[in-house]
Amino acid sequence: MPRLLPALVLAVLLVAPASAQVERRRAVTGGPVEELFWAPTVISTASVTNLPRGNANFTILHSFGPVSGGIGQLWGLDGAANIRFGLDYGISDRVSVGIGRSRLDKVLDFRTKVNVLRQTTDGRVPLELAVKGDLGITTEENGFAFGDRISGLVSVLVARRVSDRVSLQVTPMWSHFNAVVPYFVGGERIVPEADHVAIGVAGRYVLSDRLAILAEFVPVVGSRTEGTKDNLALGLDIETGGHVFQLFVATSHWLTEQHAIARNTEDFFAGDFRLGFNVNRVFGVGK
Amino acid sequence: MKARKTTERLLVLATLAAFVAPASYAQVFATESGRAEFTSSVPLHSFTGTSDRLVGRIDLATDSVDFYLDLETLDTGIGKRDKDMRKTLDTARFPFAEFLGRLETPVNPAAAGAQRVRVRGTFTIHGVSRALVVDGTLTREGTGLRLEAAWELRLDEYDIEPPRLLIVKVDPVQKIAIRALLNPSPR
Repeated sequence: MPRLLPALVLAVLLVAPASAQVERRRAVTGGPVEELFWAPTVISTASVTNLPRGNANFTILHSFGPVSGGIGQLWGLDGAANIRFGLDYGISDRVSVGIGRSRLDKVLDFRTKVNVLRQTTDGRVPLELAVKGDLGITTEENGFAFGDRISGLVSVLVARRVSDRVSLQVTPMWSHFNAVVPYFVGGERIVPEADHVAIGVAGRYVLSDRLAILAEFVPVVGSRTEGTKDNLALGLDIETGGHVFQLFVATSHWLTEQHAIARNTEDFFAGDFRLGFNVNRVFGVGK
Repeated sequence: MKARKTTERLLVLATLAAFVAPASYAQVFATESGRAEFTSSVPLHSFTGTSDRLVGRIDLATDSVDFYLDLETLDTGIGKRDKDMRKTLDTARFPFAEFLGRLETPVNPAAAGAQRVRVRGTFTIHGVSRALVVDGTLTREGTGLRLEAAWELRLDEYDIEPPRLLIVKVDPVQKIAIRALLNPSPR
């Protein structure tokens, strides 16, 4: 009978897999890290976050007048400094296109963002890298030829979600205006620069599933138009499920980056900042 | 002595045959591309999440039923909503929804037409397991079996906090449906 034992063991081994559980395997491993930022904008500059394919994002960006206006201007709330309505669409998970229109100078702008690298959960790709372009057209009647109304921005966004709570981003940017017109300030003739280079740095700290704080600083490097100041903004992200609301204080009232880099003359630390908010509403198209 | 050896050999063969024979009938059916679907409702609106990565197996010889879904494959059509869903389900910690159970009704894989089946087992999601009875149908399709089943899942029974859209909460009752063509599979 002992000689039967191997055969019985063999029989049991043959049968055992039939009642074993199906092996659990993850369908997706090493996928992209999600939500480096909750919205495609940090505050006034773009974030690396892009729209998934087939998703659209309707945005309202609004900045009020300067807080330094005091109670007489209800700390800026009496004056709508600028407002931009925009719509972006995800052509693929890595490419989006968008259009928007701002009140100041009636700037109509077209933009695209391409995520060249996606940070992965397995660390294989440690950074998220995107390229953004924005083409602005001043549509306010100002006597300029069409070509002289054009402005543009090219930026390279490099970011990493360092931890569940912290994301950091560095954004070299180049801002260009086809035409610049000299102007006078206090009798002094100012000749604006057509090109500015800035290195934006931004960060996010997640407080909870619904709240995060944001900071953004965009110093101009190299030559700049006299009087141009660096932008600083601090904000609060509020995630509500269908929307991302952003409340912020910021130096610049411009809502397109090429203008914010080249045309901001206000200094955050001199009290020249304003309140503002962004509303992001993402919805699916076709499902 | 020779007779004893022969008896032993016959006993071994009989034992092997007894265990292995059911497998030779290929009564195991499996899929790795079944469809799982849930429908969520909020006032004046509902949305559906789908996945075509449902994996499972039905063994008619042992009456065992085993299915699982990688929850990160569910797609509601809006990337942001998918991310919210993954947060709600905490898929980083609990990546799978799974059902392990047994057929309570006999199934004839050769029969034509839909056969009503009932399975009783344990459904696990969000790290919580609860007993579940599911009714469905199995229909012969080619050499395989077409499975269709549906049930309702109460989020609170699985410690899942219904997500909010602004101030509106998603209905805590989710409608679940699965469809799959299970093909004959080796054991």
